Amino acid sequence: MSQTVIQNQDVAETGTKLDVELRKVFKVFNGETAVRGIDLEIHQGEFFSILGPSGCGKTTTLRMIAGFEEPTGGEVLIRGQSMANVPPYKRPVNTVFQSYALFGHMTVWDNVAFGLRLQKSSKSELQTRVGEALQLVKMENLARRYPAQLSGGQQQRVALARALVNRPTVVLLDEPLGALDLKLRKEMQMELSNLHRDLGVTFVMVTHDQEEALSLSDRIAVMNQGRIEQIGSPSQIYEYPQTPFVADFIGDTNLFQGQVEASYPSSLQVVTPNGLTIHVKLHDNGQLAPGDSVVVSIRPEKIHVSSGAAPEQMNYYDGTLKNVMYMGTHVHYVVELKSGDKVTVFQTNRAMALPSLNTPVQIYWSAADCIALSV
Amino acid sequence: MSLTTTPSGAEPTRARSGWHPAKLIQPFVLLAPAGIWLLLLLVFPTLLILELSLIPGFRLGQPAGAYGLGNYLEIFQPVYFQVVLRSLFFAVGSTLLCLLLGFPVAYWIAIKAPRRWRNLLLVSFILPLWTSSLLRAYAWITILRPSGLLNSLLGVFGLPGQDWLNRSPAVFIGMAYSFLPYMVLILYASLERLDRRLLEAAADLGATPQQSFWKITVPQTLPGIAAGGLLVFIASLGDFVVPELLGGASSMTVSRLIYNQFLGATRNWGFGSSLSMILILAVSIAIALLLKYGDRSSAQP
Amino acid sequence: MPPTNPQNFSVSATTRRRFLQASAAAVSGIVLSNCARNLSGSNAPGTASPEQTSSSPSDSTLRIFTWANYTDDELLKNFKDKTGIQAIVETFDSNEAMLTKMQTGAGKAYSIVFPSDYKVEEMIKMGMLLPLDKSRLKGTENLMQNWQNPGYDPDNTHSIPAVWGTTGLIFDPEKVSSEVKGWDYVWDNVDQLNRRLSMINDVREVFGATLRYLGYSYNSTKASEIEAAYEKLLELKPAIATFLTNGWEDQLASGDLALSMAYSQDALNLIQESPNLKYIVPESGSSLWTDTMVIPKTAPNPDAAYEWINFMLEPENSARLVERLKISTPNQAAYEKLSSDLQQNENLFPSKAVLAKCEGIVPLPSEVTELYDRYWTQLTST
Repeated sequence: MSQTVIQNQDVAETGTKLDVELRKVFKVFNGETAVRGIDLEIHQGEFFSILGPSGCGKTTTLRMIAGFEEPTGGEVLIRGQSMANVPPYKRPVNTVFQSYALFGHMTVWDNVAFGLRLQKSSKSELQTRVGEALQLVKMENLARRYPAQLSGGQQQRVALARALVNRPTVVLLDEPLGALDLKLRKEMQMELSNLHRDLGVTFVMVTHDQEEALSLSDRIAVMNQGRIEQIGSPSQIYEYPQTPFVADFIGDTNLFQGQVEASYPSSLQVVTPNGLTIHVKLHDNGQLAPGDSVVVSIRPEKIHVSSGAAPEQMNYYDGTLKNVMYMGTHVHYVVELKSGDKVTVFQTNRAMALPSLNTPVQIYWSAADCIALSV
Repeated sequence: MSLTTTPSGAEPTRARSGWHPAKLIQPFVLLAPAGIWLLLLLVFPTLLILELSLIPGFRLGQPAGAYGLGNYLEIFQPVYFQVVLRSLFFAVGSTLLCLLLGFPVAYWIAIKAPRRWRNLLLVSFILPLWTSSLLRAYAWITILRPSGLLNSLLGVFGLPGQDWLNRSPAVFIGMAYSFLPYMVLILYASLERLDRRLLEAAADLGATPQQSFWKITVPQTLPGIAAGGLLVFIASLGDFVVPELLGGASSMTVSRLIYNQFLGATRNWGFGSSLSMILILAVSIAIALLLKYGDRSSAQP
Repeated sequence: MPPTNPQNFSVSATTRRRFLQASAAAVSGIVLSNCARNLSGSNAPGTASPEQTSSSPSDSTLRIFTWANYTDDELLKNFKDKTGIQAIVETFDSNEAMLTKMQTGAGKAYSIVFPSDYKVEEMIKMGMLLPLDKSRLKGTENLMQNWQNPGYDPDNTHSIPAVWGTTGLIFDPEKVSSEVKGWDYVWDNVDQLNRRLSMINDVREVFGATLRYLGYSYNSTKASEIEAAYEKLLELKPAIATFLTNGWEDQLASGDLALSMAYSQDALNLIQESPNLKYIVPESGSSLWTDTMVIPKTAPNPDAAYEWINFMLEPENSARLVERLKISTPNQAAYEKLSSDLQQNENLFPSKAVLAKCEGIVPLPSEVTELYDRYWTQLTST
C-alpha cells in the first residue's frame, strides 16, 4: 500500500520527462570493469542519488554523464540526445566537484562568472546572474576573495554557485559534502535541499553517505560492484530492500539465513539452520516456494523487548540480554536467543529503568515488519 | 586571572634556563658550511667588485686612484647604452623563443606522455647540457652557415634558404638551444603539479580545450613560466659565447664588454666592475620581483 | 674621455690597495681563473691549486703555462727522457687571461710561461720576470738576426723567442674577382663581399691592419689616426660577417666566407686540409708576432725552466714544432733542418721585403688602449 502511494508522489513531483538516461552502460579501465551494464532513468527536476561503497562505480557513472569518461559500451542520453562523442564542454550539465576544483587564480566572483563569460553573456547579464547566484549561496559579501581565503564550507558554496549560474539542465554533485565536518554537512544538506526545491533543476548526486542520500533524495540508486542493486525512493530502499546487500548497506539490520518451510498466500514461514522459525508477510506477489533459500531482514527499531507476553502472530523469542548501549535518544540492546543467534534491538528512550545484563528477556516483531529476500 | 597569567609569563624564563650551550651552537653548526661558502664565493667577491667599481679606471698592477663614480657615469655613453640594449634584446628574444618552444614540450611530457616514459623523455631533453657550450656553438655554425645543413634541408623541401648565421636569428637559435632544457625542466615541474581537476572543471563549465589552456593552464603555471623565463633571461644575459660565435660583426653584449674590460686589451677593471654591478643589480631586482609577486598568482586551494 | 690620473694616490689609497691586492689574490684569482677556463672552452686541465704545488717544489716536475697545442706528448716524453723532469702543461687562450692569472697569484706554480712579445714587454715593466742567466743557456747563438735583439725585449734579457708568425688574409683564389695582394681588395669590394669577410676578434689586430693600410703605424697612439681607422672600418662594416679568431675555418672552406683575416699558423693549418686556399701577408704590411718563453719570478723550479728553454733551443725540437704546427721558428739551425718545401714556403718564412713592412704589436698607455676599446665597442655595436 505504502509503496503505491510513494510512487504516485514521485510521478506528481517530477513529471515524466527524462533528463538523463543510461542504457546498458559499461566502463572498462585497463581490463578492469568499473561499471557493468547500468540502466538508469532520471526524471526532470528530480533529486537523484547514486549511493554505494567506495569503488562501486558510482563516480565513474557520474563522470560518464559529465563527459569526462566515455562509456566502453552502451549509451548516455541527456534530454533524449545521445552524448556519444559530445565533449564535456558541450554538455548541458555542470558539476560540483568533490574537491570543489575552484580556480585559485580567480576571485570568487570570477570563478562564478567563468561559465557565463565563455558564453559571451552581456556585461549587465553577467552582473545580474553572478550576483543572483552568489546571493543564492549567501556569498555575495565575499565575492572579491580568493578561494584560498575561504573556509571549506564557503568554497563549497562557491562551487555550487559556479555550477548553478549557468542554469544547466542537470547539476551533477560528486560527494559534494564529503570534505565538510558533521555540523557543516548537516547545514549544507538543508541548503542543498532548499536550493533544489527552489530551482527545480535536476540534481544527480553521488555519495557514500546513506543518511545524506536518504534525507535529500527523491530517488536513490544503490550501486555495488559496478551494478545497480536497487532503484527506489528512500523509504522503498529502506523499508523494502530487494537484495541482502541493500538491506545490509542501508541502515542497520538483523539478517537471518534460512529456508522457506511453508508458503501461504500472504505470508511465509522461514526456518534458520539454528532452528529459529520466522513468520514473514509477503510484500510482492511472492515467487518464493518451500525449499528456497532466503535471507530474512528485520530492522532493529522494529523489534520490541519485553518481559511480559507478546501479542499473537508475532515472531516471539526468548533470549538473554548480552549488551546494553545507552545512546541518549534511544538504547541499543544485543539479545542472544536460545538458538544462539544474536539480535540487535533499538528502543526509543522512554526513561524506563534499563534491564540489567544477563537477565532473561523476550523479543518480538510483527511479520509485516520483516522481509524475506531470495538469495 | 593573575593565577593563570603567572605561569604563562614564567614560561619564557623556564625555556631560557633550559637552554644548553649545544642548542646555542646548533644553528651555527648547521648554517656554517653554507654560510662560509656563500660568504667566500658570493658575498665577498661581490663586495670586491663593488669596491673596484668605485675606483675610476682601476687596473690590476697599477696604483689605485681615489674613490669616485666615474665608472658608472661612463656607462651612460650612447655606445655602451647601445650594448646594454642589444644584450636585453638577445636575452628577451631567447627567453620568448625558449618559452614558445619549451611550453609545448613540457606540456606534452607532463600531461600527454605516458607516465613511465616521462623521466626518460626529460633526461633525453637535458642531454645537450652535457656538451660544452663552445662545441654546441660551433655545431650551430656548421648547421646555419649559408651552405650548411639547414639550407640543404630547406632545399630538399623546396624552401628558400635562410641567411641566419652572423645575424640575430642565429643568436636566438643558439641561446634557445642552450637554455631550453632549463625552461623545459621548470615548466615541467610546474605543469606536473597542475591540478587536472581544474581542467575538468573548466571543460565542465563550457571551456574548449583551447580556452582551458589559456584561462586555466597558463595562469596556473604562471609562477613556473616566470621562474623559467627569469632563469633563461639571466643565463642568456650572461652568455657571450653564443653571440660572439653566431651573432656576427655587430654582436657586442654587456658580458663580452665586461670580459673585454677584465681580460681584453684595456684591462680596465674599474669600468668592468661597474658594468658587472649593473648586471648584478638588474638580475637581483628581477629575482626580487619574482619572489615577491611570483607566488601571488599561484593557486593554493 | 681622459681617464683619471692613476698616479695621485694617498696613504689611505695604499692601504686600500694592499687590501685589494690581497683579496684579489685570494678570491678573484679563483673566480677569474675559473672564468677564463670556461671561456677557453675548457680544453685546459683543472687549475692546480698554488699551495699544492708550491709547497712541494720538486726538482723532477716542471709546470708550463702555454698556448694550446704548443706541446705534445712526444715532446714532453723526449724532455723527460733527456732530463728526467716531468713537465706538466696547462694552457691559456689569451695573453690577458694569462697575465691576470699570473698577477693574481693563481699562476705561482708555473716555472715556464709562453707570453707574446708585447706581453713580455709589459711583464718586464711590472717586474714579473726573472732576468735570464745567459751562461746557463745553450744555443741562443742559433737565433735568427731579427730575434737576436727584438724590440720587445732588447738582447733577450728576460725571454727567449719560441715561435713566430704573421697576420694576413686567407681566401680561395677562384672565388675572388681579382688578385688579392692586400687590404685594397677588401675596401675596393665592400659591396661584393657583402658579409663574407671575417676578421680576427682582436681590437689591436683589426685596427692595426687598418692603420697600416692607411699608412700609419700598427701601434699608432694618435687619436686622429685611430679615429680615421675607425671611420675606415665603418666603411668596411657591410662586408664583415663576423669577428672570429677561431671558428671561421669551416665557413671559409665551404665558401660561405670569401675572405678571412687570420693568424698565419691557423691559416696554414687550414691550407693543409684545403689546398685550394691561399694565404698572403698584405702588401701594406702586417703584424709580426712572437711567442716567447719566460721564467716568472715566482717560478718554483727555475732550474728545470732553464733545462726546458735549452731543450726547446735544440734545432730538432724547434724544427719539429714547425712541422707539426705550421708555425715559424726564429731558430736558424732549426730552419736549416727543415725540408726545402717548408723552407721555401713564403707563408712560413716571408721574404725580407715583406718582413720589413711588418711590425710587432707593442703595449700602449692605458688611455690609448681605452680609446681603442671604445672605438672597438662602437664598431661591434653598430
